[in-house]
Amino acid sequence: MSRVIVIGAGLSGLVAANRLAGKGVDVTLLTKGIGGLQLGQGSIDVLGYAPDRVTNPVLTLSAIASARPAHPYAAIGAEAVHTGIEYLKALLGDLLVGDAEANYQLPTAVGAIRPTCLVQPSMVAGNVTDGARFAIVGLRRLKDFHPKLVAENLSRTPLPDGGRLDARPVMVDVPARDGEVDSSGLTYARAFDDPAFRDRFAAALKPQLNEGETVGLPAVLGLKDRGAWKDLSEKLGHPVFEIPLPPPSVPGMRLNEALTALAKAAGVRVVNGTRAVSARVEDGVVKGVTMATAGAPREFTGEAFVLATGGFESGALAMDSYGSVTETLFGLPLQGLDDGPLVHGDYWSAEQPLFSVGVRVGKDMRVLDAAGAAVHPNLFAAGGIIGGSSRWAEKSGDGIALGSAVRAADSIVEELA
Amino acid sequence: MRKLAVDVVVIGGGSTGAGVVRDVAMRGYSTVLLERADLGQGTTGRFHGLLHSGGRYVVSDPLSATECAQENAILSRIQSEAIETTGGYFVTGPDDDPAFADKFLEGAKATGVPAREISVAEALRNEPRLNPRILRAIEVQDGSVDGWQLVWGAANSAKAYGAEILTYHSVTKIDTADGKVTAVHCTDLKNGEDVVIECGFVLNCAGPWAGQIAAMAGAHPVDVIPGRGIMVAMNHRLVNRVVNRCIYPADGDILVPVHTVSIIGTTDVKVDDPDNLAIEPKEVQQMLDAGEVLIPGFRQSRALHAWAGARPLIKDNRVAAADTRHMSRGMAVIDHTTRDGLDGMLTIGGGKLTTYRLMAEHIVDAMCEKLGEKRSCRTADEAIPGSESGKNYLVTHRLEDREHDRLDDQIICECELMSRKMFTDALATQPKGTFDDLRRQLRLGMGPCQGGFCSMRATGIALESDHIDIERATGLLRLFLKNRWIGLWPILYGDQVRQTALDNWIFQGTLDVEHLPQPESEVAL
Repeated sequence: MSRVIVIGAGLSGLVAANRLAGKGVDVTLLTKGIGGLQLGQGSIDVLGYAPDRVTNPVLTLSAIASARPAHPYAAIGAEAVHTGIEYLKALLGDLLVGDAEANYQLPTAVGAIRPTCLVQPSMVAGNVTDGARFAIVGLRRLKDFHPKLVAENLSRTPLPDGGRLDARPVMVDVPARDGEVDSSGLTYARAFDDPAFRDRFAAALKPQLNEGETVGLPAVLGLKDRGAWKDLSEKLGHPVFEIPLPPPSVPGMRLNEALTALAKAAGVRVVNGTRAVSARVEDGVVKGVTMATAGAPREFTGEAFVLATGGFESGALAMDSYGSVTETLFGLPLQGLDDGPLVHGDYWSAEQPLFSVGVRVGKDMRVLDAAGAAVHPNLFAAGGIIGGSSRWAEKSGDGIALGSAVRAADSIVEELA
Repeated sequence: MRKLAVDVVVIGGGSTGAGVVRDVAMRGYSTVLLERADLGQGTTGRFHGLLHSGGRYVVSDPLSATECAQENAILSRIQSEAIETTGGYFVTGPDDDPAFADKFLEGAKATGVPAREISVAEALRNEPRLNPRILRAIEVQDGSVDGWQLVWGAANSAKAYGAEILTYHSVTKIDTADGKVTAVHCTDLKNGEDVVIECGFVLNCAGPWAGQIAAMAGAHPVDVIPGRGIMVAMNHRLVNRVVNRCIYPADGDILVPVHTVSIIGTTDVKVDDPDNLAIEPKEVQQMLDAGEVLIPGFRQSRALHAWAGARPLIKDNRVAAADTRHMSRGMAVIDHTTRDGLDGMLTIGGGKLTTYRLMAEHIVDAMCEKLGEKRSCRTADEAIPGSESGKNYLVTHRLEDREHDRLDDQIICECELMSRKMFTDALATQPKGTFDDLRRQLRLGMGPCQGGFCSMRATGIALESDHIDIERATGLLRLFLKNRWIGLWPILYGDQVRQTALDNWIFQGTLDVEHLPQPESEVAL
């Protein structure tokens, strides 16, 4: 029905769909719901730790690509990551800043200092520098952000480039909705979209700030209004930055909404709300993917397929009670299963190997078997379904998603032409 | 060094020790309970939470059966807050011998355990997930009990009678003079302080560790054989009643609904060290297979957590030492006067959670007899604080509480409906507690997300309470995540893998917890 079917609406699926549509290809995007962007931190990681803290992500990923052949970056390559970053920046305009040659070092909601590559402008002022003075501001009715935890951990942490910063906690109580004491980040984000709320908030906070302080707030400063943070900063007369929270992630939603809207505008047909349950393969070629739509299952056929379904977190991979691991849609061969136990009992020691399991890909992002042959000539993979890395520990997931998505899309365009 | 003087020192803060200290205090003795960790952290908190009807023992151990039936009725009354009167079934599986149910019914009649055979159709109507191929079903009065609530209830009752409860106090030495116990030395593990307690009597209720305590007083070795049992908590109440296999007691034959989960247990393997209990993969598989017999599709249900406990069985020459299941579960009071020529100490072993009050009554009776005093036991007559209403808890009770305070308070743990006030109140009573200490009273982090969302919140709130500093707060978070993982990784499959991936995404990915300043040494207690 479409020439290309993309399965999954996380960063990799949305980027692949946009890129294909942008090159004039007819695309259908299948997704069970909102993709993984709303679960993450809402910035773009390329490489944060290898295992030491990385300052130049693209440079370091080239080293990983040559040293670790099973790592996704070995197949993707630095050039595709570069292309992906530039492509995403061009798509999203003023929603992302930064470049592939440098990481920002930003505070997290427990007060760790986290490397990340492209950030939303509302996060930039959090980049840690020697001698900085932060007021970390919590909202009494938002339970996912505790300013004292953030401030005191930041203050006791030596900064990556040396030096220290000085952070102190501030608590304000401005209800997002009258009579509600347990408001989610999303509720606050919607409140911050309203200029009148920002006025009230600024009035409550401003008297508590000292001169020269940069203000760190939970990342809830507006969902629709991209200038909300800037307006608040002007009202306060202080630089302001956002600190990402556990899900639901408001910065992630901004990226998701923007990329989804762009995809639709470019002509991508988005089928949302139902799960892909099976695939039809004839003579080794993928013919269609069936969704469990209401009433009767429905098949979506295409000439090429992009598997952008994620890992265990989305159900793309599963392990049963006997310890057998499967890719749940195609039953694809997986890498990372044969090197000893998949989990071990020490939480703080080495990574759990289970979460590096995934499919193998070639340079064109075709899914490969153990011998290096394409499993299906028209099946490509992008993002978290690709095995070989500890995405969350490395802070490499978004770079892998971007690089593999543009590679897969470009391979398909070449193939179809 | 701190010095105390009391009539009686009780060693061990499991159900036995808590029951004993309550009984001792109610009989008018001054008393201190010493526990090296938190109350109910050893054996008591590590079993499935079954309040026996007695049914399990009607054939194998008639005396235990009768005691269970009687104590079940007493506890449901005096500790109603800790007990859900779920009721229970004994069911004959498709491949089990149906004739055992006849022996069971005879035994129940003889031992006074209320039991009634019902039709399979009735059993399936009430428990629709039960295997439809079961052959027979017998209804009994099993219940489920929150071991930690039970122990804290007894301890709070003892405190109301003047007892002192010292947790995280590890016994280091027991003094004797002229063939009599005179004092107990211990260390307050939270601050390193040594404490000496002069006393007239020691009651050793240390369960699997009772042998180690007896040795400190110079007694001949007491042969305690820890029997390891593993338990697996499933994410839902797969059943609303306790479901037992109607067979001679075996592994994996009980499924107990406790709060929002159901727990399958258990195995029984002789081990040497009660402090080192592994959760063997093959035993987990055994539990899942056993679950399939009771509930078809059990393996597709979500497993949340696994743990192991050690039974405190005293060696009994009637059976081989390797067969701990069939050693006496009945209590054994060891009289060190006749055995070792040592006055002023009794050791108690064996027993089970359901009969903990009765065990306490026996050991305190024995002590009174030695002291030549007549003070009678009143523990069965008086409700413990919090259970005066006699209303048993329901699975929905927290939901009801939150309906009342949802506009005034935040829910910090959505899985277990724990409010912010519940957490700050518990923290105020245990400012030196770890999050696991608080968990045992609040169920923090015990639901599907296993701490994924609540543990960061708990850390922030604890720090804001000003009871702890940033190093300890961060250390407690590290400790909590590590401890949750101990019970997660042995049952990591199905939907819990998916949850763990999300939790890793949050903690490693978004929060980058690993790169907080590393502690010089990890917080351990």
